[in-house]
Amino acid sequence: MSAVASTSQPRSTMLGVRLREAGWGYAFVLVPMAVFGLFFIYPFAYMLYISFHNWGILGSQGSAGWSNYSQVIHDPIFHTALKNIAEYTIGVVPLEMALGLSLALIVNAKIHGKKFFRSAFYFPSIASSVAITTIALYLFNYNGLFNHVFGFHRAWFTDASTDTWAIVGLNAWTTSGTIMLWYLAALQSIPTDVYEAAALDNTSTWRTFWKITFPLLRPAHFFVLVVFGVGALKLFDQSYIASGGTGGPNYSLYNPVLYIFRAAFAGGAGNFGLAAAAGVIYFLIIFAVTIVQRLTVGRREAT
Amino acid sequence: MRKPLLVLLALAAVVALVATAASAGTHKAKVTNVTLAGWSSGPDEDQLLNQVIAKFNATHKTIHATFSVINGDYATAMTARFAAHNPPDVFYVDSSVAPGWEAQGVVQPLNSYITKSKYDTSKFYPSLLRAFTVGKTVYGFPKDWSPLAMEISNAAMAKVHGKRPTTWAQLQALAQSMATQGAVPNGRPICLSADWARFLPFVFQNGASLGNITSPAATAAANFYVGLIQKGLAQTPDKLGAGWCGEALGKQTAAIAFEGNWLLPYMSSTYPQVKFGIYPMVKQKTGGNLGFTVSYSMAKDSKNKAAAWTLLSWLTSKTGQTLWMSKGLALPSRSDVKAVGGRQAFLAAAPYAHGWGFPNFSTAYTIMNNDMSAVITGSKTVEQMLADAANALRG
Repeated sequence: MSAVASTSQPRSTMLGVRLREAGWGYAFVLVPMAVFGLFFIYPFAYMLYISFHNWGILGSQGSAGWSNYSQVIHDPIFHTALKNIAEYTIGVVPLEMALGLSLALIVNAKIHGKKFFRSAFYFPSIASSVAITTIALYLFNYNGLFNHVFGFHRAWFTDASTDTWAIVGLNAWTTSGTIMLWYLAALQSIPTDVYEAAALDNTSTWRTFWKITFPLLRPAHFFVLVVFGVGALKLFDQSYIASGGTGGPNYSLYNPVLYIFRAAFAGGAGNFGLAAAAGVIYFLIIFAVTIVQRLTVGRREAT
Repeated sequence: MRKPLLVLLALAAVVALVATAASAGTHKAKVTNVTLAGWSSGPDEDQLLNQVIAKFNATHKTIHATFSVINGDYATAMTARFAAHNPPDVFYVDSSVAPGWEAQGVVQPLNSYITKSKYDTSKFYPSLLRAFTVGKTVYGFPKDWSPLAMEISNAAMAKVHGKRPTTWAQLQALAQSMATQGAVPNGRPICLSADWARFLPFVFQNGASLGNITSPAATAAANFYVGLIQKGLAQTPDKLGAGWCGEALGKQTAAIAFEGNWLLPYMSSTYPQVKFGIYPMVKQKTGGNLGFTVSYSMAKDSKNKAAAWTLLSWLTSKTGQTLWMSKGLALPSRSDVKAVGGRQAFLAAAPYAHGWGFPNFSTAYTIMNNDMSAVITGSKTVEQMLADAANALRG
């Protein structure tokens, strides 16, 4: 009896400690979860509800069934918006990754003034995108400094044939600083002995980079690809500012987030049902893209 | 030790006295605060409106009106405020967004107020009042209006010894001679926006309308408009280093622009050295123009409707509008208020002016303008643009 009692005593205390620990754990999780619920889960659920209604400025004007979804899916402007954002993302992500990695390699090298370069490269990432876009519009307009210096005759951000690429360039530049930081952290976590081994074999710098550094950065590649890929799909402010909110000229700056915004607000339209449906559809698209990334690049990264 | 305490007590007594006196004062004449919101068309206009409101406040002891400018995207900001049930009491409504907001039920119908206060609406130009009326329900009174006119740089006109064009052919001929004689060395003779708010007058001039926008007459109008650009006689403002055609005229990268009354204060404040003549729009089969008008309307969710009505009806009354017209920033919407001098070209448009706005406005207008820029760059045909427009108008 006594033996049983003596062993059960610590077990129950262990359980009590565990329970108490779990309690504290949940208590700590509760606050962020409440914030998450209030500002994400609840609005998302409410958006789903709105998407099935004819929802005007002052609220529901009756149930809409699937008609909002059907309208978005059959809208040629939404198709153009999807095509535009695909082009933009395919253009910007590799460019910003290449730029970010190059900058990381520069500041990781043994050079003087490293700290200065690191801050200088990071600076565009912390500046306001609205301010940067507005200034870029001036620099690259028809009579802007850029054309003046290089002798071009083109309004880069408002010409349907160049505006997407102008924004690709602008955003590759502004985001490269943040990407540089991720790559820098990853570069510094690569053990030095692999480089020492390469040096013993007289491997060239170029070969070392492609055979050692680049493959060992795979987790960073995956992270940057997912985070900045999704970020690129959420493009809005630059297109909004460059097109004056119209998505033009010739729909060239239309993108899904601008589509959602315009359905809800443009010209005081207040078509919130349509905007919510477009939001749900676009969420599913981004979700699918992330899953595909996870299954392709992510799986290789895990092995 | 005692002295500071005494001083403190005395101070407290004074403060208490002043506070009771002040609150007694407000009790005597209860002042209702009314908010008025609109966009800003420039410092001149803001200043004038504040003067008008100061006059209102001076003559209405029980109401205090304050004007707040909503910067940026006005319709968006207002939509958010309507949705939050926190709109300003009185606000601007552009004729193009009026049908949408009226249908959404955020604008207060004014009929009962009109009847109760025996407000005379007969002085408003009917075509302008119609922009804010659905059936017999009145949703606002036009505060002013402007059609488009044709502005031509005096220097360029003198260089080619030209005279005022009145038809499409004459307009094209004038632009042609400006081009060949290098009258606009840094740009093109005409500035044309990829904007249906500038293109539609040409449709009306050719006898077409939005109801038959795919007709041969409308197609011919579109071909003429875009043709001027394709022939090198005109260009869009972005390619002339300008945000809009008024700026192109000011920068002298274009000699001919089609803009409204709003161009005049802009030019005199920003480009006072550029002299230009103001002429009525060209005609073709008939005259054709657009009338841009804005109303003062009341919010359905306003908490001070009686005071809001007092402000709204005073602003649009003969007294209010006469003050508003004193600087010539816009044209009067009332027949009993005179425009300042030099506005004949605008006033001549009155019989031909169609109200700016159409069904399914925000979607249709976006499609129309995006298509227009596609036609200009050659990636869409005129026929495709007009067909898209007809579809969009059907909603």
